[in-house]
Amino acid sequence: MANRIDRDEKIDLTPLLEVLANRFRPRDDQEAYELIVGACQEAQRLYGWVPPEAAQAIADHLGVTINRVYGLLTFYADFRTEPPGKHFLWLCHGAACYVMGSSRLIELLRDRHQLVDHGVSPDGELTLHVFNGCLGVCDLAPVIQVDHHEYWGRLTPERLEAAIEALKRGDRLEDADGTAG
Amino acid sequence: MARLADRQAFERYAAEAQARWERLWAGDHWVISVGISECSIAKGALETYRHLELLLAQEGIPATLRRVGCAGWCFAEPFVEVRAPGAPPVVYGNVTTDRVPDLVHALKRGEVKSEWALGARADEPFAGVQPLSQHPFLARQRRLLFADAGVIDPESIDDYIARGGYRAFLKALFEMTPDEVVAEVKASNLRGRGGAGFPAGIKWESGRRTQAWPKYVVVNSHEGEPNVFKDRRLLETNPHLVLEGLLIGCYALETPYGYNYIGGEHALAVERFQEAVRQAYELGLLGDNILGTSFSCHIRVRTGGGAYICGEGSALMYAIMGQRGQPRTKPPRSVEEGLWKRPTVLNNTETFASVPSIVLNGGAWYASLGTEQSTGTKLVTIQGPVKRLGVAEIEMGMTMRELIFEVFGGMREGYRFKGVQTGGVSAGPLREDQLDVPVDFDSLTELGGMLGSGGFVVFDESVCAVDFARYLMAFNRYESCSKCNPCRLGNPALVEILDRIRNGFGRPADLDIIREGAKHIIELSLCGLGQVAPMPLLGMMKAFPEEFDAHIREKRCPANVCPIREAALVAAGDD
Repeated sequence: MANRIDRDEKIDLTPLLEVLANRFRPRDDQEAYELIVGACQEAQRLYGWVPPEAAQAIADHLGVTINRVYGLLTFYADFRTEPPGKHFLWLCHGAACYVMGSSRLIELLRDRHQLVDHGVSPDGELTLHVFNGCLGVCDLAPVIQVDHHEYWGRLTPERLEAAIEALKRGDRLEDADGTAG
Repeated sequence: MARLADRQAFERYAAEAQARWERLWAGDHWVISVGISECSIAKGALETYRHLELLLAQEGIPATLRRVGCAGWCFAEPFVEVRAPGAPPVVYGNVTTDRVPDLVHALKRGEVKSEWALGARADEPFAGVQPLSQHPFLARQRRLLFADAGVIDPESIDDYIARGGYRAFLKALFEMTPDEVVAEVKASNLRGRGGAGFPAGIKWESGRRTQAWPKYVVVNSHEGEPNVFKDRRLLETNPHLVLEGLLIGCYALETPYGYNYIGGEHALAVERFQEAVRQAYELGLLGDNILGTSFSCHIRVRTGGGAYICGEGSALMYAIMGQRGQPRTKPPRSVEEGLWKRPTVLNNTETFASVPSIVLNGGAWYASLGTEQSTGTKLVTIQGPVKRLGVAEIEMGMTMRELIFEVFGGMREGYRFKGVQTGGVSAGPLREDQLDVPVDFDSLTELGGMLGSGGFVVFDESVCAVDFARYLMAFNRYESCSKCNPCRLGNPALVEILDRIRNGFGRPADLDIIREGAKHIIELSLCGLGQVAPMPLLGMMKAFPEEFDAHIREKRCPANVCPIREAALVAAGDD
């Protein structure tokens, strides 16, 4: 996993500060506390993770302690405090996907790509989140959401392997539901 | 758009919206609606929409292209509804981009593609297409909350108002006192749809009785269970319905503070609910002095960060307050001390969405639906290898067999029914011979199942009961908030024992250890998650004892799923 101490790129906080100034304007202390999670979600949307600089900016903007911000960042499963890989895989591990075989996909990613939950593959290409909930597209089970907009559905280990190859090449997987595959 | 000043202004606005709605369906142009929701987007609905837009312009067909919400038939997404001039609207299923040109050309020639049609919105068959209401998926349903699903544009308050929206809120605001509203909800015997089944009216009443200010009304749209997606579909397809229910709730509690806490992963649901709130503010249905009355209401939308425990009442309130979402001991109940230590009424999304029809038609009418103890309708989702996946709304009391085999179409080709897991991760499964149980709050509990929030998972012979139990336990282990010991330490211990059994090192005494450990977790845990965490495991052991036996005594996995096989071979020196 990439270490944040080795990270040489600087985080440009301008877009985050802009969003905070425009949309996160608490009228009182209570609302400031209520807005922490939302602000962290905005940061993650912008950077793909929540860098320490961004967490500090959020704490400063809302007038809360950095402890409070990290308390939430480490509690919720959605947040990343380490930089992600190039592509983001959101693997649904809801009951429907389990019944249709998502465990085999998790095994394949672990054994063939050294990719575990919340981890980054050694080549830095892939990040995996195993979602302990339901993505709500059960007709496509077992399903992976890729880079927040595309879906790979009705996956088998073979189809997943092919899809990852295509993703690394920069191609798109044509048949989301696997009917033609 | 100016804020509506009083009731007359709303009536005028509603009349205009209704006239526009009728003109839309009466003119000599085409009306084409595409269902856009999370599940249809995954299956390419946006591409279908763009393709249609392009083709209609190319062919020079005068058409209104609309976006509507999901209608619950996930199996037929993406769907397109076409109304040609002078004909009833016909709904086509599975219209992916490659089907669009064929469809448009056939329609241009005046033909109906009956082989793709789900049904026509008419009372009589039309050109060989059955009425939609007779489609096997819909024929047995009773739709109140989903009545306009797939009909109205979820991002248009005008559509909602044209179909009679916000009438219930106006009735409450101008014709009823808050006490009368609570009395109607009590008379309806509406029980909380989040799982526990506590009567909503009694909760509202105790919220009213508590003397403290301010009070809060909170919608629980967190829905973190691994097998339910009804609340997010409801928010995606008809967000104003939930908003109207919340408004009525705020009126009944006489408070201007409403919240909706939505799971952060339900991106489209969050977006559409926020849009609904924005439109309601713009029209003056939210804000200060609504429609010239003394009632004010402000709604805040908060999102979760992916922790199942935040669906628990007290944890949810801590989460809103910007703390780690961990439950606390009760009492005090949240109606006495909830958000910011003030009285808080918390109900599920579906509960709030049921309120408008109760206010409009009366509690007695609602109580006449469903069974005596479980009134009304229930949104249910079924997952697994069934033919027609989706969200259905049924009257309480339909049997599980009818639900699985008639509404959802039974098992897919090549799959054999083995069992159905009920109550999410909080209860046990039902076997084939138990399927004649009515789907309601109490009957399922008697059999060790649970209605829960209405998510059922059908599984087939390829799923091993031990492995499935391990999956469900592992979910609870992962989602434990780690506040209290029985849950934090007990669930991992149970998972370990299950892993031992799965790997072929199970001992006959293990089943007793599980029962003993489970008892401690159930009795000593702080919150609802811990108190029911071992239930799916106990349920699996009760429903499929022979499979646990085969793993432990015969060292084999009947479904051939567990890693037991290699272990047994090694143990026997048979490698």
